Amino acid sequence: MLDLFFSIAILIFIAGTAIALAGVVRDSRIARTLSLACTVAASIFLAAFALVLLVTGAALRLPVWQPFPGIAVTFFIDRLAAFFLVIIGAVSACVAIYAAGYIEHMEGGSRRNLLCACMALFVLAMALVVGSATTIAFLLFWELMAAVSFLLVTYEYTTGETTRAGIFYFVMTQLSTLFVMLGFIALFLATGSFAISPAQVAVGSAPLVTVAFLALFIGFSIKAGIIPFHKWLPYAHPASPSPVSALMSGVMLKVAVYGLIRFLIAVFTPDLWWGILILCAGTASAILGIIYAIKEDDIKGLLAYSSIENIGIIFVGIGLFVIFSCSGLSLLATISLLAALFHSLNHALFKSLLFLTAGSVVHATGTRDIEQMGGLSSRMPVTSALFFTGAAAIAALPPLNGFASELLVYTAFLESVTLVDPLIKILLFICLALFALTSALSAACFVKAFGSIFLARPRSRASENAHEAGLSMLAGPAVLATACVVLGVFSYQILTGFGYVLPVPDLLFVSILLLLMGSLTYIFLYFAASHTVRISETWGCGSPSLPSSAEYTGHGFSEPIVTIFASIYRTKKAVTNDYYDQHGCILKEGKAEIRLLKFFEEYLYLPVARTASRIAERVSHVQNGCLDTYLLYVFLAVVAVIVYLGVTA
Amino acid sequence: MSYGFILYGIINTLCVVLAAPLFVSLVKKVKAWTQGRQGQSVFQTYYTLAKLLKKEVLYSPDASRITRVTPWVCIAAVLVASLFVPLVYVTAPAGGIGNIILFLYLLVLGRFFMALAGLDAGSTFGGMGSSREMSIAAVIEPTTIIVFAALVFVFKSLNIIDMVGTAVSAGTLLTPTLILLGISLFIILIVETARIPVDNPETHLELTMIHEGMVLEQSGRNLALMEFSAAIKQMILMALVINLIVPWGIATVLTPAAIGIAITLLIVKCVILALVIGLFESSMAKMRFFRLPSLFAMAFFFSTLIIIIEVFA
Repeated sequence: MLDLFFSIAILIFIAGTAIALAGVVRDSRIARTLSLACTVAASIFLAAFALVLLVTGAALRLPVWQPFPGIAVTFFIDRLAAFFLVIIGAVSACVAIYAAGYIEHMEGGSRRNLLCACMALFVLAMALVVGSATTIAFLLFWELMAAVSFLLVTYEYTTGETTRAGIFYFVMTQLSTLFVMLGFIALFLATGSFAISPAQVAVGSAPLVTVAFLALFIGFSIKAGIIPFHKWLPYAHPASPSPVSALMSGVMLKVAVYGLIRFLIAVFTPDLWWGILILCAGTASAILGIIYAIKEDDIKGLLAYSSIENIGIIFVGIGLFVIFSCSGLSLLATISLLAALFHSLNHALFKSLLFLTAGSVVHATGTRDIEQMGGLSSRMPVTSALFFTGAAAIAALPPLNGFASELLVYTAFLESVTLVDPLIKILLFICLALFALTSALSAACFVKAFGSIFLARPRSRASENAHEAGLSMLAGPAVLATACVVLGVFSYQILTGFGYVLPVPDLLFVSILLLLMGSLTYIFLYFAASHTVRISETWGCGSPSLPSSAEYTGHGFSEPIVTIFASIYRTKKAVTNDYYDQHGCILKEGKAEIRLLKFFEEYLYLPVARTASRIAERVSHVQNGCLDTYLLYVFLAVVAVIVYLGVTA
Repeated sequence: MSYGFILYGIINTLCVVLAAPLFVSLVKKVKAWTQGRQGQSVFQTYYTLAKLLKKEVLYSPDASRITRVTPWVCIAAVLVASLFVPLVYVTAPAGGIGNIILFLYLLVLGRFFMALAGLDAGSTFGGMGSSREMSIAAVIEPTTIIVFAALVFVFKSLNIIDMVGTAVSAGTLLTPTLILLGISLFIILIVETARIPVDNPETHLELTMIHEGMVLEQSGRNLALMEFSAAIKQMILMALVINLIVPWGIATVLTPAAIGIAITLLIVKCVILALVIGLFESSMAKMRFFRLPSLFAMAFFFSTLIIIIEVFA
């Protein structure tokens, strides 16, 4: 019965793709809307189906296609896969609802139909990756997901920036596939099986398993955006349309997280140092991600860096899980894994919420630069409330969902005092300190984002004339925002409902207390305080009315943090002045520059890229395009084969 | 939930609400004495709050809903947080009240709104205050969490109410580490309550102010709420230091005599701590803003060292 539901969802996705493609020629709006409606329906179907599996705990196996003996495309959906299918389904449905309104404001004519088709296909590919029961199927759909997402990123291919971002993304995503494939080959060599099931490691192949883990770790890290493999995120997200950014950041990164968790739990028996590696990579991503995010002026770039941070937090959870399960602390291991999973869900919700509302803002103001915005809270009241919910959730304010999952991470860290090994304990304490710093910086980052975009006065004409988004562009994010609140306030009840009774506070109780204290104060002040309210000009140090340029800008806001962490940004400030006189009194002309070093790009990416192109240059001497040369190669090859056969015979 | 816990909540909240403004004025009084002035009355903060309640509320035409809700959020967050630190009476915690992480994040909740309200009116001062506040809060965070982790390590519990309970029942200091942790907690107290050398609560000069900058646009009832929540925050942080390091006298049974003794002792201890804060502030100059990270780094290494010693001991 249930397997039928899964197949139906797949068919609706395919129908969505087909309908949109059918309308390409006539640039049909109806086709687009229908296609997106299919995506919404299929996503809801998928989420509902997965939710049933998640609640009942049943597992489902679907054999689909077996081209050769031993090589099969099979689906297997257990509780873990069902959980990620819920994420994919729920978020994609909201994004597609939003896209129905957004896409009609976009340029590109009939290309928009292709965008709808690709979106349906993209969601389908992600769902199939999660459902895969064999490494072959996994790789197949992984590659489909990569290819379709590349098409989505390069939607606005006419702008130079997008082309560059698209190519960057394509290279990185192929690198990811390459490493995943390497990992699968190593696994096959070690176990002789393509199934994603507990590895029966052949004798003497232990190093091969380590190789497999490392390759898979790098492959999934590239896709998830773990530093130092993160550089594609801040390029691809600003370049792609907002619903696509929301899908990629909210959902696709989680598919990579799923891959890592699936292989750690179902295939490998992890070593302690694997956990330490994952923990350190996660901590580094979290802290560096948010430090880079805070200096961004591009709203979507800021959100992209913040995704790197949140994926870091998820990796911290996974790392702790491995460390604790290797140390035999099963309760703490459960808490850490739940933290990682819960944060995956939460990040999917609030990050897609933020990307979608940011898309509305970008659409309304025509710029991605937050310095050109301001004053939007009165012009776009609903969007601002929705963005605020997302910002509060991502800044881990209680009682929202971001706090609920970070609380689990903190609990795991702080309870680790029961751990035996003192050295690991100290490592955990240091990671804990960095984690706390990350969390506090993300609060600062989103104060900056919300403050600069929505508060005070408009800083440009476009921002002054901004208007509220349409109904569908509010409905999708509104669902996500509600989910953020509900999952936070009822987190304790939900976890208990799934059978995890954990030593964490009941946030419902805390919310009631907050309301109670607020209303008690209100009642007291209702009787005790004056009720006169007056609207009056802000004090501007005596000048009659200050222009909006006198406000504190986003740049100004992040300046203290940029200065404090100057050694990480590698900020270089240089001032050169020319003078008319030799005493340097009368200025002729001057130049001042602030240069931020793109550390990873200049020290990691470019050297690798240069080496690759040098090798390619050598190889291209062989491939000179002249027919005679190729004939020579063929002749030499034939001679070599004949000689070889002669010798062996 | 037991009646005992509800009673605990009522007693604790009453103590905090009634006593908090007293210690704000007391620190000012101590500072006045060291400067050779007579200073204001120790009840001045009560008078100021009462006066502010009678005044009208002013809003900037640019101010959004953020400015309007911030005072309420701040006071609600800090009042709930005050339930997490037992002042005079300790009982078994319920419903996760007392969780040390939740405590920390309730303070973050207030700060987040306050910083947004600072940006809301579009004045330069407010933004300056918000920016500095969020930066300082971020840089002190690792120290705070490490000190909290050390407390969890020493008391074997994540719950502040349990910690105080353990401290009371032990009667003596659990380990000498606690004295060292007391120093770190004191630094956190200074930072969180915006005092010298981090911030100067007395000035409205743009060069020095942080916290005052953020509340500059608030007025009337709203300002009263902000100042009151700042006072409560100071009170609960003082109580946290006192009741973990010198827990003697806290009531474990609910009798008028025990509560009476506990209240008297709490006031005595808080007065002493307020004296220390006042003298500490008077003996220091405000630090340059960008010197602060090195102060915090020192506090951080100090706390980490304590942890390392404790872990290997």
